[in-house]
Amino acid sequence: MNIARTYGNIVRKKLESDPVKAGKLIRKGLHLEGFRVKHLSDKRIPAGYKYLNYKGITVVADALDDPEHCAWTNIFAPVEILQNFGLTSVSMEALASYLSGFYLEDYFIDRSESCGIASTLCSYHKNFIGAAEAGVLPVPAAAVTTTLACDANVQSFRYINDIFNIPTYMIDIPHEYSEESLSYVSGQLRELICMLEDITRRKFSEERLREAVARENETKKYFLSFLDKRQRHEYPNTLTLVLFQLFATHLSIGEEWPLEAFRMMDEEIEAYPESGQKRLFWIHLLPYAQMALREYLNFGGDINVTCGDFDLDYIEEMDADHPVDAIARKMILNIYNGGFERKADAIADMIRKYDPDGVVEFCHWGCSQSSGGVMLMKEKVRETGKPMLILDGDAVDRRNSPDGQIKTRFEAFLELLGKGGETA
Amino acid sequence: MLGYVCKYTPVELLEAMGAEPVRIQPAVTSFNHADALMHPNVCSYAKAVLEVMAEGGYEGIVLTSCCDAIRRLEDVLKEQYPEKFIYMLDVPRKVNDFSIGIYRKRILELADAYSAFSGKVYSREALIEILERERESARINAAGEKPDKLRVGIIGARCPETVKTLVEDNGGKVVFDISCTGTRREEALAPYLGSISRESTDPEGILSSALLSQLPCLRMADARGRSDFIAGFGNEIDGIIYHTVKFCDVYSFEYMQMKKDSQVPILKIETDLTPQCSGQIKTRVEAFMESLAAMRGTTEKKIAGKAAESEMFYVMGIDSGSTSTNAVIMDKDKKIVASAVIRTGAKSADSAVRAAKQVLDESGISENDIAMTVSTGYGREAITAAGKSVTEISCHAKGARYFNKDVHTILDIGGQDSKAIRLDDAGEVADFVMNDKCAAGTGRFLEAMARTLEVDISELGPISFESSKEVSISSMCTVFAESEVISLIAQNTEKADIARGVHRSIAGKSVSLMKRVGLVPGFMMTGGVARNKGVVKEIEEALGAKIYITEDPDIVGAVGAALSALEQVEK
Ligand code: SF4
Ligand code: SF4
Ligand code: SF4
Repeated sequence: MNIARTYGNIVRKKLESDPVKAGKLIRKGLHLEGFRVKHLSDKRIPAGYKYLNYKGITVVADALDDPEHCAWTNIFAPVEILQNFGLTSVSMEALASYLSGFYLEDYFIDRSESCGIASTLCSYHKNFIGAAEAGVLPVPAAAVTTTLACDANVQSFRYINDIFNIPTYMIDIPHEYSEESLSYVSGQLRELICMLEDITRRKFSEERLREAVARENETKKYFLSFLDKRQRHEYPNTLTLVLFQLFATHLSIGEEWPLEAFRMMDEEIEAYPESGQKRLFWIHLLPYAQMALREYLNFGGDINVTCGDFDLDYIEEMDADHPVDAIARKMILNIYNGGFERKADAIADMIRKYDPDGVVEFCHWGCSQSSGGVMLMKEKVRETGKPMLILDGDAVDRRNSPDGQIKTRFEAFLELLGKGGETA
Repeated sequence: MLGYVCKYTPVELLEAMGAEPVRIQPAVTSFNHADALMHPNVCSYAKAVLEVMAEGGYEGIVLTSCCDAIRRLEDVLKEQYPEKFIYMLDVPRKVNDFSIGIYRKRILELADAYSAFSGKVYSREALIEILERERESARINAAGEKPDKLRVGIIGARCPETVKTLVEDNGGKVVFDISCTGTRREEALAPYLGSISRESTDPEGILSSALLSQLPCLRMADARGRSDFIAGFGNEIDGIIYHTVKFCDVYSFEYMQMKKDSQVPILKIETDLTPQCSGQIKTRVEAFMESLAAMRGTTEKKIAGKAAESEMFYVMGIDSGSTSTNAVIMDKDKKIVASAVIRTGAKSADSAVRAAKQVLDESGISENDIAMTVSTGYGREAITAAGKSVTEISCHAKGARYFNKDVHTILDIGGQDSKAIRLDDAGEVADFVMNDKCAAGTGRFLEAMARTLEVDISELGPISFESSKEVSISSMCTVFAESEVISLIAQNTEKADIARGVHRSIAGKSVSLMKRVGLVPGFMMTGGVARNKGVVKEIEEALGAKIYITEDPDIVGAVGAALSALEQVEK
């Protein structure tokens, strides 16, 4: 029996007649999931991951319960600044993934398509817009997004703003780093700060931002140290747990808990034996809805995803003395900003550094980051000498993700890795 | 020739270097190069530009950081044509002093790069002169004209010339075109060039400020100027055509918003910029223009005519669809005398001749007694016997009201496409959408599923009523759905349950389509698929309302065509 699906069906019955109730049920479902993760999850999951998973769920569930202290963002938003005003960031990617976790994505995606949204738009966005349109999401205090990596953000957030009149701020990130672009972005961050002061009636504290940035530096240190060890040690995981790392490296970074989570993981991992598992490096999106892959990768005996580029999109130490500039710099120099070439080169460097057995990229239908850049990516990976598998599917919409095709490709890739082949 | 693609390109600066900038408006017939070099999901415009570059003739191209598709285009062009000048200009999305400063610097970097490439040098004097000229010519052009034609505005992404031609051929005039490169340059920039003069010390600054300040495209952070611009026309436009490019997501958002707010009728069309595709949108543009004309009252419905009151005469309507060709003969009192439905063969014109012959035989009326024939449907233009052709949209509307005057929302599912039409109280087309891009939700989908289930298409409906268990077919694409059905069969799922799942899948698609025009009660279903009671039942369930179906759902379009023929005769 699939509990999430059964629960989702209960919610589904309410979607049309009583969306507010449906929204409540979704939140309740998240809290239940948080409880399950904390008390009943698989015994093999290490404590560090358990904590991370628990926080990732409850942070969102709590924020949805308290919309006045919640902001809708995207994954690259300057969350440190939002924290300064007591606002929790809930990214539209996370929301979309959770809705898909309840098997409700088809309803919301159809909903946005029937409003006229292009069916080719990335399903994270469609899911998010559909859920907002349907009225299941409580209206937050603010919305903050960036132009980094994803063109659709400008459009989605503008659309949402038009419906709900949420104070929305969009940060335009120029492609290249220069003194001018730094002032352009930090100027916008300061404008954002003014807007948030207005909305929340709280004063901005530069001191607290400094502390947050310092904490961010420390968090990343633990994370990088963990990753190094992870390449040698076993540390049982699932695809979903790897995905949850994004909460700690992005959405909550700067807060206490991610630091705590990575510290735990970094210490705990040493107790696990060294392993001879095959290691995969994962590029960009980890599909939340893809059941077929779980079979192979969850607690995988022979094969495991041990690192990915998304958690490492900016790892430079930040200048805590000038926190606003440091955040601006982080956004401009994020590997996902600007041309694909930059990103591809950066990822190739990571692959050289972590030396995995294979590389996987999941090309998410509708994402021009993946479909647009995948050929170039493949070229760059080839230069590293690592075999690469490209999967096509939809990370959110099960209807666009044919299990069979993914299974076949994945199995073939495993066979090839077993033989120590060159390319896929 | 140096190509460019975006209205934010500093064309004037390039001209001031002696370059010959040319706006690329591709009309390509195939995507042979692009399909090999780009992912299939990349927007057709980007692909078309690649084809144009492959044809040769351009020394290079200046791109803007518009969207990921263009960025990807840059990568491919650089790789393929290392000897050409391929330049990416990053355009800020906000307009403020910082961004104007950044953009000024960037356009000068572009000038340096082009200089290094071509040896041409930038002349500030030349730029001033060009900007002055631009400002002046805008003044001359401003002298307005008042068209008595249907006034149509074009918005959206990169509208091909063919769409404008279609508008003009159907009694319309394009009053504005604010798609990516549609705006007339001088009109766009002139308002911001007031301060330019011989003495200007910073024409580049003025240019970058003018460029960023012009009517924003959707990529800009603040795009409110667009709705103001349109609102400024008040009721001086009759309709708006919203053009989007296949696989471009950017522009569907604005359409959604406009559709909610606009007082003026809007037609959305999507093309891939090929002539083939323009053929497909022809019907829609024509139907749209017809409905605009009807709203304006230009189609006089005078009942006076060449046919005397007492004399009996007949008219014929032929609906040439992709799967079936249907013909109807009607007398002057709007009574249906005979009808025929035949399968469309390889040539739609031949099938039309056969259908006409069959219906004449059946009625015993001679061809000479037919005062007028009107054709409609997919192949309507190939039918030479017809005195006039009218789109199937208008015909379905007319036909539907003929059978039931309470109909407001029509769902027509044909073999190759499906459409939803909303009628206003007067029976005129108020809105319509068509799905002709994929088989999902059409008769073709049903046929494929019946084949996979190894049952006759006509059995599919009855079988589904025996279903006792819910099975869902989740794939939307026929190919995926087929493999889903195969695996269901392999799991020993009952055919009845699968059939019902198939019907539900079609129902879901159809109801989404209907939602897009608005679910106004008074539902009717037309087209061959309406015979399948299983589908009808699922749609009714999804709608929570009954659907009206005539005894002969195939002939509704042909009846509408016959009614049009009557109107013609009576004129
Ligand atoms: S998957 Fe791609 S298109 Fe979708 S939100 Fe992420 S970056 Fe944007
Ligand atoms: S959408 Fe805007 S930036 Fe993109 S090509 Fe059109 S005008 Fe230029
Ligand atoms: S049509 Fe759309 S996707 Fe294509 S280049 Fe223009 S904005 Fe980009």
